[in-house]
Formats: sequence, structure tokens, C-alpha cells
Amino acid sequence: MSRALGDTLAILQRELLRYRRDRAYWVGQIAFPLAVVAFIGFGLNDVVRLPTGADYLGHLASGILALLVGSAGVGGGMTLIQDRESGFLRALLVAPVSRTSLVLGKLLARALASVALVALLVALLAVFTPVGIPHPAAALLAVVAITVAFVALGVVLGTWLRSVEAYRLLAGLVTVPLYLLSGIFYPVSTLPAATRWLSYANPLTYGVDLFRYGLLGVNEFPVAVSASLLGVLTLASTIGAVVAFDRGLRE
Amino acid sequence: MDASATTQPAAIRVEGLAKRYRAVVALDGLDLSVEQGAFYGLLGPNGAGKTTTVSVLATLARPDAGRVQVAGHDVVSEQAEVRRAIGIVFQEPSLDRELTAREHLDLQGRLYHLDDRRRRTGEALERVGLAADADRPVRGFSGGMKRRLEIARGLLHRPRVLFLDEPTLGLDVNARAGIWEQLRELHAAGGTTVFLTTHSMDEADALCERIGILDAGRLVAEGAPEALKSALGGDVVEIGFEQPDGCAAAELLARIEGVLSVTREPEAARLRITVRDGSRRLAALLEAVRPHVVSEVALHRPDLEHVFLHHTGHPFEPERLGGGG
Ligand SMILES: Nc1ncnc2c1ncn2[C@@H]1O[C@H](COP(=O)(O)OP(=O)(O)OP(=O)(O)O)[C@@H](O)[C@H]1O
Ligand SMILES: [Mg+2]
Repeated sequence: MSRALGDTLAILQRELLRYRRDRAYWVGQIAFPLAVVAFIGFGLNDVVRLPTGADYLGHLASGILALLVGSAGVGGGMTLIQDRESGFLRALLVAPVSRTSLVLGKLLARALASVALVALLVALLAVFTPVGIPHPAAALLAVVAITVAFVALGVVLGTWLRSVEAYRLLAGLVTVPLYLLSGIFYPVSTLPAATRWLSYANPLTYGVDLFRYGLLGVNEFPVAVSASLLGVLTLASTIGAVVAFDRGLRE
Repeated sequence: MDASATTQPAAIRVEGLAKRYRAVVALDGLDLSVEQGAFYGLLGPNGAGKTTTVSVLATLARPDAGRVQVAGHDVVSEQAEVRRAIGIVFQEPSLDRELTAREHLDLQGRLYHLDDRRRRTGEALERVGLAADADRPVRGFSGGMKRRLEIARGLLHRPRVLFLDEPTLGLDVNARAGIWEQLRELHAAGGTTVFLTTHSMDEADALCERIGILDAGRLVAEGAPEALKSALGGDVVEIGFEQPDGCAAAELLARIEGVLSVTREPEAARLRITVRDGSRRLAALLEAVRPHVVSEVALHRPDLEHVFLHHTGHPFEPERLGGGG
């Protein structure tokens, strides 16, 4: 057991080293939400009225952060393809390390990096938006669940796609509808009935809602419902990623 | 254990191994066995199936048929045990561009649970001449530096069975000699079985106690390099001419008693003759080519290229046999 833990930590550390060195990535991830909030958020703030009466700026800012966490997860899944392209994956696969440790290391690394990113951005956004961190545990669960689900999705795609380009394209096709139907930009309750049901079926909806509860204290769905759904989602995604990784990488 | 339990179990045992990639038959009923502590070389031209063999032995590719054991464990049903026992240097690059040399070795040390990984990492970097570049990301390494790092990583945990897939490919003469030295030392220290693939005859000859010759997914010959060469039962005489038309003497030579084969190398204006008792028949050979002006004569024992030619009926590397060397 402690062996498996040590292996997972070793993988985790390697993934974190890579994330830390990717300067362009961090600059982009920090500049993007700030730019959206600054250029769009302030303009719309006076125009858009939310049915809850809450401030639109906070809604948009928290939504953009959730979007960021999702796309970071997709990027985390892409590292599998990158590792295969560089050949490094071979060196990992031949080492006496369980597939579970390899996948968990990847999932944890991305989750940690996203938690750090969100913490940093919340601190910055708190200066000029209503975003804060009234419920840290809820925010943490939401970040972890969204990350793990998207990395897992990426691992599944990555086991049968060979190129980064194909991955980007397909991941975009799958995730953009998920984002649009998740209440990132507008509350789900304001959507037309038909689309609203699609949103209810979208797990990301509950991730965004719980995340928003964590950052603003505002929620559309009961916290207990979202939290349990996300707990199950995290577990299922983790298992799915391990199984896909194990099955998909045999020659 | 089975019947083989009475003797020392082989480090590598392959029986009837077959592997295909869609329509391509990469391995076609391979049988081989490598004793513990041996230095074994698998020699074969491009596409012979060397990398496929290593991939199956190292648990990375699944055999379609056959039984494969490494360090006493089955590569399909006991993958974890096999992985713990082996080390491997891949033919293709397998480094992370963003990590430094030291970080690669440190990760390796952690994955193999080495208590003294810091010391070993330092030593390994020193040995392959990367100490000064240890903390640079691999992104900025030359091809040879990357190769040396891959080798350092494969040896770091002192595996019981070490696979080297064309380890010195792309290295300069010095680096290659350094790696050969390191492999010899590792092997002399005992305990490590080395399984090396190469398409370099020199490398197989210089390092390996036993070699297997692989061609189109089958083992066509096996034995100690010396034994394989002497089994051909002849010497090689090379006669170089002033003019390429000297090669016309080939037919005449072939009729001389004791001559086994004659190969023309027109570009080099040279004939290669395999002949029994070369030193005694040299005069007769020279007599037969008399009308043509001879520029050089050499007599030597057959090398592994001849062994390959003999067993497969085609040259190992056509351009090398044909061109000058
Ligand atoms: N992943 C793969 N997909 C399809 N065909 C493959 C694959 N790997 C190997 N092959 C085929 O199997 C055969 C053996 O290839 P292999 O790489 O084992 O040869 P090799 O002896 O290592 O050659 P080289 O000296 O060029 O490295 C070749 O015909 C090759 O085309
Ligand atoms: Mg090869």
C-alpha cells in the first residue's frame, strides 16, 4: 500500500514539474479570466439581470473559473498523448508501477495545479468582483470533481487517439456542449424548458453550481445533492480512467 | 516448477513466439533461451523483429502465440514480477523533454525503490559524462547526450535482466567505446544477464558471448561468434584489381578446387572468395586472375556478415557488402 502511494507521489511530482515549467500556460490561464471579466463582465453587469437578483459579474467570473478548471482537465488528459508521442510513456509502462498509480498521479497532479490556479485567481478577482471563498470545502470538491472527470475523459480519448490535433478537435466537440449547458454563462433556470432538461442531465451543471456556492454562496440546486453527485462522478471517473488506461495501452 | 527445475532456470526462455501487426508478421515462431548471467546478442537487419522481441520480453507487447518467460516469470500472467526484474534501453527515444537528466534518474530511482538513489544518480551521470549537464532540461540535449541518459537510466537500478535495443545507435566512437566498457564491467561484476540487439556486426562480435541471428522473424543461427564463423569452414580472400574488369575472373575462380563462393564487388573492383584452406590455395587463386593487374590481396577469417549471408542467402546490408569498407 505504502509502495503504491510512493509510486503515485513520484508520478505526481513528475507531472507537477512539467506544469510548473509551462510558463506560457500559466500566463494564459491567468490572463484569460481576468480579461473576460474586465472586458465583458463590467459591460454586461449593468445590462443583465439575474432572476436571483444576484450580481452578474460574480456569476460570470465564477463561471469562467469553472470553465478554466474544465479546460485544464482536458489539457491534463492530453498529457497522455504527449507522453506517448515523446516515448516517455514506454519508460513508465515498463517500470514496476501499477497502472492505477500512473493514472492517480496524473489526476492528482492536475487537480492540485487547478486548485492552486483557482486560489490565485480568486484572490485576484476578489479585489474587483463579488467572488470570494465563503465555502472552501464545496469549492474544493467542485474543482477536484470537474478536474478528475475531464482528465478521465481525456484519458479515454487519449488511449485511442494518436495525435494531439485529433485530441483537441474531439475533446472540443465533446466539451463545448457540456460547457454551454452547464450554467456557466446563465443560470440553468433561465434556459428554455427543453435545454433545461439537457442541463439537468449534464454532470458539469452540478459541478458549476457547487463551485459557485463555494465562491459566492449562491446555488440553484441543493448542496447535498450536488456534492453527492460529484462524489460519485469523481469515483466513477477515476475508475473509468484506470480501466481505460489499462485496456487501451496494450499492443 | 516443471522439468527444467533441476537445472538453473534460464534468464530468458522463448518458445514458439509469434507476433503480428495486422498483416505484418513480425515474429514467426521464435525459440530462444538465454542462460543466467550471459551476454546475448540478437543480430538482425532492419525489420527483422528485434524490437518486437524486446517489447514482448519487456511486457510491452502481448505475444499472439508461444510461451515467454523472463527471470523465471511469464511475461503475460506475471507482468509485475517481470517488470521488477528487468531494465531496458529503448531503441526509440523515451525521455521527457521538459525534465532534466537528474530528474529522469531520480524518478527512475523512486519507481524502483532505490534507497541510495541520490548517490547512484550522481555516479550514473558521472559515468556517462553528463554530470555537467545534469540540471539542464533534456530539450536542449544533443542526440548522443539523450542516448547516454537513456542508458544511464536503464542501468540505474542494476536489473537482473537488462535489455538494450540498439544501445549505441547514433553515438560517436568515443561514447560508443565508453558504453561498451560500461556494459563489459556490469557484466563482469556478475549477476546481470544482458540481452542486446544490434545490427552492428562489430558490436555483436565485440561484446556478446552468444549471438542469435534473426531474419524475417525467425532465428536462423545461434552460437558463439567464433563458432558461427568457423562453422562456415573456410577463409575469405579478397582480391582487389587496378581495373573493375578484373571481376570478370570470378567464373574462373569458382572452378578452382576448395572455392565455396565468389562475390563480385564491381564498384570496389574487388572479388571476395570464400575458400577452404585459404593460405594454401592463395597462389592458385592469384594464378587464375593473372591477366588482370592485382592491386591488393587480403586473407582473413570469415566475419559475421558472411555468417549471415550463409544462413539467409542474402547480404545483411547490401550497400555494405557491395561498397568498399
Ligand atoms: N507497431 C507496429 N505496427 C505495425 N507494424 C509494426 C509495428 N512494430 C513493428 N512492426 C513491423 O514488424 C516488423 C519487425 O519490426 P521490428 O521493429 O521488430 O524490427 P527491428 O528488427 O527492430 O528493425 P530495426 O533494425 O529497423 O529497428 C517490421 O516489418 C515492422 O514493420
Ligand atoms: Mg528495432
